[in-house]
Amino acid sequence: MSALARPSSSGESRLLVRAQGMRKHFHGQGQVVRAVEDVSFELGEGEVLGLVGESGSGKSTLGRLILRLIEATAGHVEIDGTDIMGLAPAQLRRFRRNMQMVFQDPYASLNPRMTIGHALAEALLLHGICARSEVRGRSAQLLAQVGLPAGFLDRYPKAFSGGQRQRVAIARALASKPRFIVADEPVSALDVSVQAEIVNLMKDLQRNLGLAMLFISHDLSVVEAVSDRVMVMYLGKTMEVAPTAALYDHPAHPYTAALIQAAPGNRHGQQKIILSGEIPSPAAPPSGCVFRTRCPFAVDACAQQVPALRPVAPGHYKACIRDDLEL
Amino acid sequence: MPQGDVPAHGTPVLDIRDLQVFFPTDDGLVRAVDGVTFTVSSSQTLALVGESGSGKSVTGMSIMRLVERAGARIAGGSMTLTLSDGRRTELAALREAEMAQIRGREVAMVFQDPMSSLNPVFPVGDQIGESLRIHRGMPRGAAREAAVGLLTQMGIADPTSRVDAFPHQLSGGMRQRVMLAIALACDPVLLIADEPTTALDVTVQAQIVQLLRSLQLARRMAMIFITHDLHLVGDIADRVAVMYASQVVEEGPVAEVLARPAHPYTRALMSCIPRRGEAGAPPPRMQPIPGSMPSAIDPPWGCRFHARCVYAQPRCAAAPIPLEAVSADRATRCIRWREIF
Repeated sequence: MSALARPSSSGESRLLVRAQGMRKHFHGQGQVVRAVEDVSFELGEGEVLGLVGESGSGKSTLGRLILRLIEATAGHVEIDGTDIMGLAPAQLRRFRRNMQMVFQDPYASLNPRMTIGHALAEALLLHGICARSEVRGRSAQLLAQVGLPAGFLDRYPKAFSGGQRQRVAIARALASKPRFIVADEPVSALDVSVQAEIVNLMKDLQRNLGLAMLFISHDLSVVEAVSDRVMVMYLGKTMEVAPTAALYDHPAHPYTAALIQAAPGNRHGQQKIILSGEIPSPAAPPSGCVFRTRCPFAVDACAQQVPALRPVAPGHYKACIRDDLEL
Repeated sequence: MPQGDVPAHGTPVLDIRDLQVFFPTDDGLVRAVDGVTFTVSSSQTLALVGESGSGKSVTGMSIMRLVERAGARIAGGSMTLTLSDGRRTELAALREAEMAQIRGREVAMVFQDPMSSLNPVFPVGDQIGESLRIHRGMPRGAAREAAVGLLTQMGIADPTSRVDAFPHQLSGGMRQRVMLAIALACDPVLLIADEPTTALDVTVQAQIVQLLRSLQLARRMAMIFITHDLHLVGDIADRVAVMYASQVVEEGPVAEVLARPAHPYTRALMSCIPRRGEAGAPPPRMQPIPGSMPSAIDPPWGCRFHARCVYAQPRCAAAPIPLEAVSADRATRCIRWREIF
């Protein structure tokens, strides 16, 4: 069963991305680090799936697996019907125009020795988007799309603020006219006033261009602002997936509830579930439910077997065996 | 809510008046702190909130008198500290040898990144006991016992074996607990916490915030909590001072300031943080603040926020704006506060 099927309410959008049974194990120092362990999801055209989790949850690794920036240990990714894992290197390079990534740190993702115009031209020519004679005009259009003047084309990244650099990084990602974007903590390094600008810009572009987006963040409030659906990861596994409002208003997994309550300013005067301890090492994950060692509701049965993702409402799934909890 | 747990007016521990801290650079004089005024009392937490470059961390480092090492000069103003024995001292006027007696004993500081503050080659117990040996002349065995006690108070399980652990053997949250144990070893009257939970995951952040709050109340300590996160301010602080372009632009009780800001910048900052939507509805769109923070070398004459302020009038740029009382315990640096309040 496709446990991560989109809710029927979003059925009008066509399926664009299907990731199934994604696994990534890193080997080193005699250990196997299970960074991503059997994660599946689907994403429709023009849909935003928010991916939240703490450090070590595997969310960034999953984003890179989907784009095949790192090779998966197991799993399948289909983007618009193309089996990404089956592409030969040259085919994959050509296919990359359809799927782009925006990173957290625009300081590190732009070459300091390259003008903005040069960086955009490179992306346009690499993917054969336009002829050399049209590059300058097309680059200016891309900058306009992210709210920057054409005069920026001849300047170097160091002349820009963090927010402006992230706008340039977004323009470069859009250069190849992608249909799917993975954004990994794109606003986490920015001040709140700039963060609001970039979140609004990404949301507007995503809507206007009909982009599908996997939006990875540790910040629940930012994820809520941009996502149609949200998936919560912990220690390499999916804990819960749901339409955004359902997840925040009626979390079904104890970890999701704890995350929402732990977020600053979110307590509404009620008693917080404060989790004890910290995320265990992914080299030695607990048996059964990986969250059970920090879960205030864990029972003996939680250690026995890995809980399956089960539906609790249309489009709403949780990996928790306890149905008797008032969260 | 934390307000209400404590008397609104404890004994003032640190009183800062019109502090000015300047860094000479090749590009000109950077006025990193230029008119900071606030008071923090015992059993009270003051949140110093602002965006990067607002001067909040330099203010913290100035209280510790660590800014001179970075090439800065305390150019004006006063920082009056009431010591644990009740005597008052003017921190800005102290010589380094005198300040060394205050630092770590009367005033302590914790930072965002515990890994760069802890020494990687010594067990954490040695580092916790160090200030007790230096400031209190405590023998090594007693200092170790005290370190175990402090680790217990910081909520670290199995403290008798953790006292011998090296920093790299501990998780991020545990390292921050160790930093707190070091900072609190000599019972300081004031703790300065500079973004102490920013590098931590949200569930661990909640643990540390709760720990800080309970430690502070139990010890009747004053705390300055430096943060960029307005959400966090409501969870931890009694009072808040909002910084913008090297100045405090608004100060007052947290609940009142967040419910009804008296400065347009505070108001703008609150509307650009993401908020929860009404049940079943999408969250409201965030409202960014147009433009960017002005240079600390050549700040605007008049109100420093006027170029980005929706309430600005020509007179806002005409002359420097003083911090004006809004009520008995609130102040704002805005000449139009009565109209917008």
